[in-house]
Amino acid sequence: MATKEIIPDKPQMAPINVWAAPVLIGWIVPGGGHFFLKRPGRGALLLISITLMFSLGLMMRGMMFTPQSGDLLTTVINYGGFIGDLASGALYLMATMFGYSQPDMAGAVHDYGTKFLVTAGLLNILAMVDAYEIAAERKD
Amino acid sequence: MPKMNLSHFEAAFLFSLFASVVLGIVTKKTDRDRLYYGAYCFGCFIVSLFAIGWVMKLGHG
Repeated sequence: MATKEIIPDKPQMAPINVWAAPVLIGWIVPGGGHFFLKRPGRGALLLISITLMFSLGLMMRGMMFTPQSGDLLTTVINYGGFIGDLASGALYLMATMFGYSQPDMAGAVHDYGTKFLVTAGLLNILAMVDAYEIAAERKD
Repeated sequence: MPKMNLSHFEAAFLFSLFASVVLGIVTKKTDRDRLYYGAYCFGCFIVSLFAIGWVMKLGHG
């Protein structure tokens, strides 16, 4: 006799008022969403890791991407890098506001710095997704 | 802002450390799993760092 396979429903997206504040705070201050959701240990580790990565990128004179279009590769690299930089939130906004945005320079150290700056933003996106999952009660 | 000059190894080591901490925190559900996964990611980064370094050295001749 054939049995029906039970397929679990795709989880519904949580209401925006539940997750908007932690995700927004998490964007502005790395780990801030976790602090907001009363996970100070994880929030502190995220704050320290992402802030140190961004600061090292600045001290290595990494380049901040600006949105520039041109051929496909130029557009993808510059817009992608800009989104990565912007994802660091207040760190990026303050660095550009206070004039720490560096032009592109040749050299391995500057290149590492650029990667550190973008990766800090990408890691902050992961932290924001984690804050969303905690707020939506998909995770402890 | 002080200028920092790190070697390739120092920069890659710090990159691995910070990325592993974040990956450990966001991917697992218990503290024990977070610690193990962070350490695992860090180990993978370091092994890859040495392996790719040797490949580049041997490939360069």
